[in-house]
Amino acid sequence: MRLRYPCAMLSRRTLLGSVAALAARRVFAFGDAARVSFAQIRHAGRWDPRPDGLSRLAWEISKRTSIETSPVVKSIALADPDLFRYPFSVFSSDQAVPAPADSEIAELRRYLSYGGYLLLDDASAARGSGFEQSARQIVSRIVPGGQLARVPRDHVLYKSFYLLDGPAGRVASTPDLEGLELGGRLAILYSGNDLVGALARDSLGTWEFEVTPGGELQREKAIRLGVNVAMYALCLDYKEDQVHIPFIMKRRRI
Amino acid sequence: MLALAVAALGAAVWLSFRGFRSDPAGPRRFALLAFRLAAALLVLVLLLEPGIELRAESRVRARVALLFDTSRSMKFPASPAGPTRADELIRWAGQHQGDLAQLAGRFQVDVYGFDRDLQPAELGRLPADPQGSATDILAAVTSAASSGTGGRPLAGIFVASDGTDNAELSQGLSPAAAAELRKLNAPLFALPVGAQALKDLAVEKVAVDDFAFVRNQVTVDVLVTARGFSSIDVPVVLRREGQVVAQKTIHVDGSHSKYEVKLTFVPDRTGKFAFTVSVPVYEGEAIAQNNARSFVLKVIRDRVRVLLVVGRPSWDVRFLRQLLKKDPNVDLISFFILRTPGDDPHSSQDELSLIPFPTQEIFQEQLKTFDLVIFQNFNHRPYRMSQYLDGIAAYVRDGGAFAMIGGDQSFSAGDYAGTPIEDVLPVSLLPPGPTAVDETPAQLRLTDAGRRHPVTELATSGPQNETLWSALPRLPGLNTTGPLKGGAQVLLQSGEGRPVLVVGEAGRGRVMALLSDSSWYWSFVAAGAQQGPRAYETFWHSAIRWLVRDPALTPMRVAAERLSFEPGGDPPALDVQVRGSDYGAAGGAQISVVASSATNPAPRPMGAALAGPDGNARVVLPPLPAGAYKATVTAKRADGAVIGEAEDAFVVAPASRELIEAAPRPDILQALAEATKGRVIDASDALATLPWRDPERVEVGQRTSKPLWDNWKVLVVLCLVVGAEWTLRRRWGYA
Repeated sequence: MRLRYPCAMLSRRTLLGSVAALAARRVFAFGDAARVSFAQIRHAGRWDPRPDGLSRLAWEISKRTSIETSPVVKSIALADPDLFRYPFSVFSSDQAVPAPADSEIAELRRYLSYGGYLLLDDASAARGSGFEQSARQIVSRIVPGGQLARVPRDHVLYKSFYLLDGPAGRVASTPDLEGLELGGRLAILYSGNDLVGALARDSLGTWEFEVTPGGELQREKAIRLGVNVAMYALCLDYKEDQVHIPFIMKRRRI
Repeated sequence: MLALAVAALGAAVWLSFRGFRSDPAGPRRFALLAFRLAAALLVLVLLLEPGIELRAESRVRARVALLFDTSRSMKFPASPAGPTRADELIRWAGQHQGDLAQLAGRFQVDVYGFDRDLQPAELGRLPADPQGSATDILAAVTSAASSGTGGRPLAGIFVASDGTDNAELSQGLSPAAAAELRKLNAPLFALPVGAQALKDLAVEKVAVDDFAFVRNQVTVDVLVTARGFSSIDVPVVLRREGQVVAQKTIHVDGSHSKYEVKLTFVPDRTGKFAFTVSVPVYEGEAIAQNNARSFVLKVIRDRVRVLLVVGRPSWDVRFLRQLLKKDPNVDLISFFILRTPGDDPHSSQDELSLIPFPTQEIFQEQLKTFDLVIFQNFNHRPYRMSQYLDGIAAYVRDGGAFAMIGGDQSFSAGDYAGTPIEDVLPVSLLPPGPTAVDETPAQLRLTDAGRRHPVTELATSGPQNETLWSALPRLPGLNTTGPLKGGAQVLLQSGEGRPVLVVGEAGRGRVMALLSDSSWYWSFVAAGAQQGPRAYETFWHSAIRWLVRDPALTPMRVAAERLSFEPGGDPPALDVQVRGSDYGAAGGAQISVVASSATNPAPRPMGAALAGPDGNARVVLPPLPAGAYKATVTAKRADGAVIGEAEDAFVVAPASRELIEAAPRPDILQALAEATKGRVIDASDALATLPWRDPERVEVGQRTSKPLWDNWKVLVVLCLVVGAEWTLRRRWGYA
């Protein structure tokens, strides 16, 4: 079922036009190279289950924060050296994914160890899904013996821009985000709630999927989580600097 | 043995007596007993072999040791503005010639000088300029007592000294020392010299670590000694090159002589500084020189404190923050603009983790606490920061470091043209406009300056360094600027000559302009090209070290030969190494030195030299009086152009406690005298009349022994007695 969201009647063309307009306000910009772009990993399975979702996330980030984003999502293979021009990549599907080759896993390991960030988004949003199993296998191959672990609620990810109390997505299938830390930072984040799906729109600008069980409030939370994830990827633990703590604690108490 | 023989003889006499004691004829009985006793005595004589010893004896004169202090403290005045203690002693010896001659008539007089050691001396040749480097009174006294001639008994010891012992007695007479003195069994008479000048205030000891960390509290432990003061408040002041950095007041009340003071301060910049702890010089003080002590303290960074101000999150920001946060030598304070006034977060402020940008606190109150300020793609206009730009420029000129990293909100595009920030940047800026950035990709190329500069040294080998830079990924665009400022150096440029990395100096500070917002390409993108992130990490570490003037990356260096020089000793010498700002050796550079002291801050010319081909030179300064000094070395080319300037601090101060703790200590002499049952005497007292111990001691000359038993008469008498006893016993019918 597709729902219309009256406050966000933006078609893809309008969206791209808006992004271009946002970019144009920085008259002296360096071009796309200076903007934050997402890379969608092109794997051997259904690699692009939410074709519009990441562009929408980029647009929301650009609209809500000072981050300059590019609306263009780069689809890229794991073995492509250009992957290293996109430190934020998304690995997604709504079904099990064929196991990547060892060389691809090695490349992904290098990518993450040198500073890359990987969002594993389960578009099927079903617990124990084929994608979830694939994702866990990939993680254990990237870091032998490594496992996804629950991201605690006091993690800086939940306060990197918005003050959030938990994960969100198209559905509320899992109560927590999971992740894997490398070099003291969260390098891999796993969402089992189809985070990108909550942001996807069709070509007419209509929300592509209903958000359950929380409706539009849950969708807003998913957008905010997407913003926080991007903000964390760019700022890391900035919000844990001492100067922020009293402000955040005060607002948490409100 | 003797007792056994006597007992045996006695028993024999008794047994024989028992045989005839019942005899009623008493005379017979007693006659026999007498004969037997006489025989026993004669046998005893034979056994004991007695003799007579004849000795030739004469009476021996006892010995008096006179000890005169020849340590350097005797060069201080005996009284305020009076003659030296040594002169006073010479005068005393002259006045007491008759007295000493009289003493020599009674005793063997041994004269010694003493300081650290004991040495024979002559009364008429006591030194007017004593040079002993230390004073050890106890060692001198015990040595003098044991080194007497011919085993003469010690009648006593006389010590003339200021009492400034800096060995075992420096803290007073210990029980062990007192016991040692009592063993001499001779009185010690002491003449305190300089005791008239008892009033003295001294900074006796200053204890501080060799180095301190900038912005961390430093504690200086000071020991002040005060003698001869009744009740007075004394300010103890710590100065850094003339400027007061800490002060405390102690109340001197005469009840005790030592006062401990802790002076604390927080050094606000790195470098080597001369400090002086001082107390006022009061009227009538014995020594004015010991009212101040200087020391050199090296202030280093524990961590480089970096302020990173970011206009918006980006990958360039993310990789730089990650690098700086991981560096244990960097204390990073960062402020990111996460939301601009034009952004709509669809939420209330309380749902956001954003905090107000504390511009006043950062740029006014805390600015000087940072070693380096980085503006990364940051435009000051939206945050009404114009009022702080003057302060930032002043911070840089005063020795701070500033770097601007490119982007669409930086340099000309960030509206910095015509601001105080442009004044300190190494590049001039263009008015804002479409030409502020150039999106043409830039392939890196090292300039001549870049080949020598430590900031761009990725490898020690020049060709390898060049290869590493040129192999790095192309940058997607550059900020454009106007002409370079004077003294600025382009280290990296694009293939067609657009500057990429420019460094320079502004006043005492250093500045860097990185005209790109994509230096992260040298890390992550390079890693994708199998080059790894080392270039990025090396570049930024070097850039930060250079910006904050890490001593290892300073082109011109000066180092005093030592931290402290002895007054009157070898003159201070400075080793100078001259490199140009391009880090090439500046052979033939004209080097001039000026120095200022804590008490006289006006710089005075102190020396000059010509650098050798390797850019090195040694400058020997003239002899300097005690004090703390800052030497500033300037190197110029033949045409007068300044190559560079460098500073170092040193002190000229006596290292010996002999000259530092030189106040007279009559209390020590008093304690010595009391421990030996002697006394302290006045200059007018005659030595000959003192109660010296005068032990009766005879000396044995020739000795002869004459045996009393060894002759025939003793044997004949023995035979006659035994024979008479036997004859009478037979005649009177005894068995």
